[in-house]
Amino acid sequence: MSADVSDLSLVRRVQRGDKGAFDALVLKYQHKLVKLVMRYVRNPAEAEDIAQEAFIKAYRALPQFRGDSAFYTWLYRIAINTAKNAVVSRDRSPIEYNIDRHETDESYDMQGRMKDAETPEGLVLTDEIRTTVNSAIDALPEDLRTAIVLRELEGLSYEEIAAAMDCPVGTVRSRIFRAREAIDRRLREVFEGGLGRVEELG
Amino acid sequence: MNEELDSQLSAMFDDELPAAECELLARRLSRDEQLKARWGRYAVIGAAIRVERGVRLNAALASRVSAAISAEASLTAEPTSQPARRWRSRWVQSVASAAAVAGVATVAIFWMRAQAPQTALTAAIDPIVTQEAVAKVPTTLTPVVNNTDSSSYTVPKTPGRRLVVPSTELANYVVAHSEFSSPVARRNLLSAFMATESANESSTAGTSPGSSEQPIEDVQDDAKNPQ
Repeated sequence: MSADVSDLSLVRRVQRGDKGAFDALVLKYQHKLVKLVMRYVRNPAEAEDIAQEAFIKAYRALPQFRGDSAFYTWLYRIAINTAKNAVVSRDRSPIEYNIDRHETDESYDMQGRMKDAETPEGLVLTDEIRTTVNSAIDALPEDLRTAIVLRELEGLSYEEIAAAMDCPVGTVRSRIFRAREAIDRRLREVFEGGLGRVEELG
Repeated sequence: MNEELDSQLSAMFDDELPAAECELLARRLSRDEQLKARWGRYAVIGAAIRVERGVRLNAALASRVSAAISAEASLTAEPTSQPARRWRSRWVQSVASAAAVAGVATVAIFWMRAQAPQTALTAAIDPIVTQEAVAKVPTTLTPVVNNTDSSSYTVPKTPGRRLVVPSTELANYVVAHSEFSSPVARRNLLSAFMATESANESSTAGTSPGSSEQPIEDVQDDAKNPQ
């Protein structure tokens, strides 16, 4: 399987004038981009503003994107430059961030830095989502849980997961899909039960 | 929702769907809001598993970007960057133009070089003088005659030009009517006729009519020892 083929098919659609395909790219990468920008700015709202600016810059520059690199790599560079420029123009110092520590103890470090900057609504929403997802994962059969965790947490390809779990690639694809469906069902239930209201209030 | 479609969506999200299926699904994904929402939740699930802070199910970021993009003009460029193609086309046009100009210039230079000796001679004695006459009057040709180091000089063969040997009657006719021409032109004509006549005399004395088509060698020797 060639890398980045799904992103590339969306990118090609955007290049042909289909703006809806760009929505899909934003939905896929918004969390990663916000997380990335958080290395440079202090609060999530500001990080979202910068991420938004980076997405718009990427959209405008998309006619020049030839697909020589992965779309996310290209987007990543735009976001980094946008964040750096934002920091310089606002005359703020970037957060001192130890990359090595980020790799090993990322969640602890991020939580510590963001706690006082996040709004209560944002925290509730985030925690509720995380709790829901975690409980849904715990409820999964072991083969589904292993497949989704290897994919999302370890970033393994289907082929690598198939080798690790000693099963065909098709089975991996099915397991990951079923795991997502189960988690998504729980997530929708929680959302429809009031989670969205918190977002609206926030 | 179709389970097979959702399975494809999940595989596409992981970049594990064949390219042909991706093309079809990308088209549907860009138009189907339900499918797009599901796609967005897959991203949320991944972010929650990776403990990415700031994850929101109904994140305002995506809708803000979408609103901003709606206000932008649609991209209508070709996938593989039309500017690059345009640049390539301009480059090819420039090179082609330069090559055409260089080609014309080269042809012109070669043509002028080929014409140069003939032009020089004809400027002096054209249209009356013959090649044979030129050959027999070395002092009008080049300074090589005075070069004592060189024992000979080879006159390059000029392209075959029909020899015109003016008759005495024609010369008389020209002279008779030279009153109507300028003094300079008249002098040029007369000197040319004189040179031609003397050349004719010597050629009829020793050379065959066809010899003038051949390269004339050893002009200096010829001048010393006329045949």
